[in-house]
Amino acid sequence: MTYAVTEACIRCKFTDCVEVCPVDCFYEGENMLVIHPDECIDCGVCEPECPEEAIVPDTEPGTEKWVALNQKYSEIWPNITERKDPPTDAEEWSGKPGKMDYISPAPASA
Amino acid sequence: MNEMPVKDVKAFTANDFGSDQEVRWCPGCGDYAILKAMKTVLADIGRTPDDIVFVAGIGCAARFPYYLSTYGFHTIHGRAAAVATGVKLANPELDVWVVGGDGDFMSIGGNHTLHALRRNVDLNLLLFNNAIYGLTKGQYSPTSPVGTRSPSTPGGSIEQPVNPVRFALGAGAKFVARAADTLQTHLPGVLKRAHANKGASFVEILQNCLVYNDGAFGAINDRSQSHEATVRLEHGQPMVFGKEEDKGLVFDKETGAFEVVNLSDLASKDVLAIHDETNLVRAQALAELEQPGFPVPLGVIYAEIAAEFVEARGFSGTKSKWGRDELKALL
Repeated sequence: MTYAVTEACIRCKFTDCVEVCPVDCFYEGENMLVIHPDECIDCGVCEPECPEEAIVPDTEPGTEKWVALNQKYSEIWPNITERKDPPTDAEEWSGKPGKMDYISPAPASA
Repeated sequence: MNEMPVKDVKAFTANDFGSDQEVRWCPGCGDYAILKAMKTVLADIGRTPDDIVFVAGIGCAARFPYYLSTYGFHTIHGRAAAVATGVKLANPELDVWVVGGDGDFMSIGGNHTLHALRRNVDLNLLLFNNAIYGLTKGQYSPTSPVGTRSPSTPGGSIEQPVNPVRFALGAGAKFVARAADTLQTHLPGVLKRAHANKGASFVEILQNCLVYNDGAFGAINDRSQSHEATVRLEHGQPMVFGKEEDKGLVFDKETGAFEVVNLSDLASKDVLAIHDETNLVRAQALAELEQPGFPVPLGVIYAEIAAEFVEARGFSGTKSKWGRDELKALL
């Protein structure tokens, strides 16, 4: 059981979620965050923090691919524990469909 | 009689120990972290869900049995240890875990906790200590520090809190440990040690209540600061702490108390206290270490090999020996 970050985070990356996570299980890519499924304790405190509603429990149908993506990148991206400013164009990308095409596999720059 | 099917214990993963019940703790509750660690530990121990019973009293922590696929018993407030004692006596082959909060274990159930510990029945007693009454919306508890403002202490609590580790040692517990909810690389090891101990194993788990007592344990269960606020005890190892492992504890034989030292000030590390979990006097001194001023000891504080109740009293027969037929004959 875990929560997973989904498409809605891409290019928005508001990072409100990382502040509330009691086990610091968020990892940061260039334009998206992911949750480490093995570290997530399934407490759900991050879910309502996300202004893009990008965080979903794995009990929702269709989340398997997102859990797999979260697993993959959480093992290579750096851990993030403090909120930071979102990308300057985050509002423009808010709610846009088809953002999966823009996901960057690169880790966040230090 | 039919033969029992061979159990494939390797088939049980951590997820298999979860139940189909919706977990109803508040989002962000430390109980989720303990549940996660427990499922991992149960899978590692390698027994099947029907070999295990979780007994709980009343409180947020006491919802624990619902969320596991093992047997479970949601009993009455404070009485989980008594019911668990009965379960263990009736069927000593079961692994029996007792779960309760600081209200359940230290307040209304303080008496039962005391007697379970002194009898040394083979139970694993897990105290989820959040230093507040969460289920009843935030009144102070027996473990709330002096000055705790709550609906029942609007001017701040004036009572000295119970120190659960000191309480357990005082009750004659033979296994006493402490851990913290979100320290997921540390907590499972402590739970496994508690399970391995034959006798009453008492584990205080410092647990954050996000809604009514957020941050009660400060840096202790904050992963980024925890190494400054805690000392991780390892039997036979020097008591060193700090992110850079730059501080340590020495034991003053005159005062019977620990002192914090900077390793850089020491001519030799030989003066550092070596953790001996079989030393009761040292365990009692460790129980006194609190923030601020001292790192809070985490890990196995005291472990003594002692006669377990069921075996010592000759109750070690199988289920049938104490089963229904014999009871009928007795009556």
